[in-house]
Amino acid sequence: MNKRREFVRMIVWTVPAIFLGLLICYLFLPLMGVSPSEAFTTMVTGVFSDRFTMGNILIKATPLILTGLAFSFTYKANLYNIGAQGQFYVGCMFAAAISLRLGEKIPGPVVMILAFLGAMAGGGLVGFIIGFLKAKAGANEFLVSMMSTYVIIYLLQYSLGSWLQEDKHEYLKTNSLKKDVWLPKIIDGTSVSLGIVIAVAAAVIVWLILYKTTFGFRVRVTGQNINAARLSGINPKKEYMIAFAVSGAIAGLAGFTEINGMQHMLLTDFEGSIGSYGIGIAIMASANPIGVIFAALLFGFLQVGGTVLSHSTDAPASVIDLMLGFVMLFVLMSFFFRRKYELRTMKKQALTKEES
Amino acid sequence: MEQNRITQSPVVEIDHVSKRFAKVLANCDVSITLNRGEVVALLGENGAGKSTIMNILYGIYHMTSGEIRVDGVRQNISAPRDAMALGISMIQQHFSLVGAHTVTENIILGNVKGRIDYEEAERKVQELSDRYQFGVSAKAKVGDLPVGMQQKVEIMKALYRKCRILIMDEPTAVLMPQEIDTLMEFIRSFAAEGNSVFFITHKMREVMQVADRIVIMRNGRVSGTVSKSEVQMSDLARLMIGHDLEVLSRTSHDERKRAVRLRVDHVSVERKGELPLLKDIDFEIHEGEILGVAGVSGNGQDALCEVLYGALRPTAGRITLDGKDISSLNVAQHIALGIGSCASDRHRYGMVSDMSLSENMMLKSSYLHRWDKRGWISWKKVDRYTQEKIDQYTIKAPDPSVTIGSLSGGNQQKAVVAREVDMGQNFVIFDQPTRGLDLGAINYVHKTILKEREAGKSILLVSTELSEVFTLSDRIAVICEGKIMGIFRNGELTTEQIGMLMAGVPIEDLPEAAGSVRNDQPEGSALQHTGKGDGIHE
Repeated sequence: MNKRREFVRMIVWTVPAIFLGLLICYLFLPLMGVSPSEAFTTMVTGVFSDRFTMGNILIKATPLILTGLAFSFTYKANLYNIGAQGQFYVGCMFAAAISLRLGEKIPGPVVMILAFLGAMAGGGLVGFIIGFLKAKAGANEFLVSMMSTYVIIYLLQYSLGSWLQEDKHEYLKTNSLKKDVWLPKIIDGTSVSLGIVIAVAAAVIVWLILYKTTFGFRVRVTGQNINAARLSGINPKKEYMIAFAVSGAIAGLAGFTEINGMQHMLLTDFEGSIGSYGIGIAIMASANPIGVIFAALLFGFLQVGGTVLSHSTDAPASVIDLMLGFVMLFVLMSFFFRRKYELRTMKKQALTKEES
Repeated sequence: MEQNRITQSPVVEIDHVSKRFAKVLANCDVSITLNRGEVVALLGENGAGKSTIMNILYGIYHMTSGEIRVDGVRQNISAPRDAMALGISMIQQHFSLVGAHTVTENIILGNVKGRIDYEEAERKVQELSDRYQFGVSAKAKVGDLPVGMQQKVEIMKALYRKCRILIMDEPTAVLMPQEIDTLMEFIRSFAAEGNSVFFITHKMREVMQVADRIVIMRNGRVSGTVSKSEVQMSDLARLMIGHDLEVLSRTSHDERKRAVRLRVDHVSVERKGELPLLKDIDFEIHEGEILGVAGVSGNGQDALCEVLYGALRPTAGRITLDGKDISSLNVAQHIALGIGSCASDRHRYGMVSDMSLSENMMLKSSYLHRWDKRGWISWKKVDRYTQEKIDQYTIKAPDPSVTIGSLSGGNQQKAVVAREVDMGQNFVIFDQPTRGLDLGAINYVHKTILKEREAGKSILLVSTELSEVFTLSDRIAVICEGKIMGIFRNGELTTEQIGMLMAGVPIEDLPEAAGSVRNDQPEGSALQHTGKGDGIHE
């Protein structure tokens, strides 16, 4: 009963915020010489007219779901993992390295399972190191995770210039993956691969872990009341390390779905902003794993729609970021106003209770 | 002669001020006046609203209703800056000093503009220090100074700003005894110059040392104002005791026939350079016995409960439960041994407000595999158990899925008590189990505690409410500044005598000798005092 009311409240506040954000964004379009009404029709018809473009929404959403989940998981422990981008890159490196090195020696499905596990292990290791520094040395996880991304970006560039570089040694990228280690396509006429299924399954599993297991319970208790956690026999430092490792593993998994499912090779500056988008998605979904799926789909839609818009009108490509920015801003503002409104009603209730 | 110093002209008048936060009424209709040359002590438990009302005067919080007058003029103090302009300064419990800067730099911070004449500033600061005999060097680095000196720097900051109304929030909490004495001397001489002081504390002895007038606060209200000349330390103890309680029937038995369950053997918690939290605590609790710990809050009760629950390691001594050494076990291991603990501050330590009632009921047992198979929780099981407890304890909650934070305080506490009583199959710690509850809920909690005693559990009851300790305990230990002042059978001492012990008066100095015995193994004659003696319940 309570949960349903909570759900309804979220819809009532969030959906109008999204539309308001889009509306304001459209009001800016005349400045770029685009008519708002034309832009709106182009975007909707452009996106939903053919299968391939619609499929792109799912493709864009796949890694975003995973980085959104990564941020959500640590957020539940009241930690901030700003470094999903770096953990994603490490996942990419592991997936690419395993797929390339083992590609011809053992059967494709086995390689993919190894790449899947390797990507998670790689991302998880980075996450664990951050959690370890937080727990044992009291380091600020926000800064450490953020800086770790920069370190990893240079590590990636170095690797692409040396041991992972293509045989031609021309560009900073790897060889293409052999076809038998590509994730199978699941919808005809699109490039949508099994990756989206993995991402959605990951969201469901994260939800199950958080809400149905004692482990997830302890993570949530640690996040909501660290003092009560300590006096309940929970060791917050341990929870920090595990939560960060899990978070890193989820971000690393995005590396696998991107490398084996979509790009089939690794290059520099690859999907450079999915980490930061993931943070926005998680915040928009209030860190609810299932909500992350929908928030990621919205981001996917805006990205694809924005691309269509910039291709078929005079609007610059940055219109995508403009839309994302406005939608994010309004959703965050809606949280603020919702909190204010709820506090005020709570105060009022308390007052009427006292008077009666 | 002392009285002449204080003129009857109010400097500060706090007039019917209330302060409401979203959920709590922190101050309700508080009226306090402060006269020129007067030291007013605000005495009360933690959470009684002392700091809140002073933070309002200092402009950190804003009142919901009421008014404040300074020198008879109504003032709207919206920020500390406004307060300082009126000559009001507040020294917070946690200092706001820059450790890497010198004393002078800290003091002139925020009081200088443009080019700084360091020599001139240093001279002024040194003068100030010498005038009050602080012994602080203007050139010293603040980070190198001991806590007592740092406090003096804070005071000098206020003096430098020509402050005439000084608010001190628990200034002695961090000080060593000698430092407390010099602080008290300063306050007296500062007031003697015609300045006024608000002194927030929960220690009765300090109040008697320094205050001219004492305002006692309780639950956000002023519950009494007395002048020092007309009050005794024992009266203060009684003023801090709340309402009377329904008399509960309690069977008395001689606990010495029963087996010892918990043995606390010369336990201390002392860290280098800090005041000891606990000093040489030594007692035992038998099966089916309630040991009450009486004391003014902040005298080591929290540390005692934490040590017994594994949240704090003793630095000396050992603790055994049924003969097994538990002093080095962690909290989870304590829980597994059947020890329950109702923390004094349930919001902070005993529950997770935004989680459901069910989730809160399984808070302590997440490692016990009571509700899960290989880590997968059966919420059905937890919900059923929670519903049972809702019915059994008549907790007013629609169903187990509501958040515990949405329940009233009494119902939250009932839920926490239900859980801890169940977790503590051998030994239960109740730290202020009825703080902030209404009479009905208090009664219910008391009945529960007595029922658990009948069931043979050992119980440690920490309370600042003397009446509660008297109603429930078999034996009473009095704690003051981390030391046990003595352990007595219930009925051996009067309220006044216990009050004196709580205030730190050693047992030898009590006005009437407390019977012939003072240790925890009374002989012969004392036995007839089991249960409740006359004169304890007024």
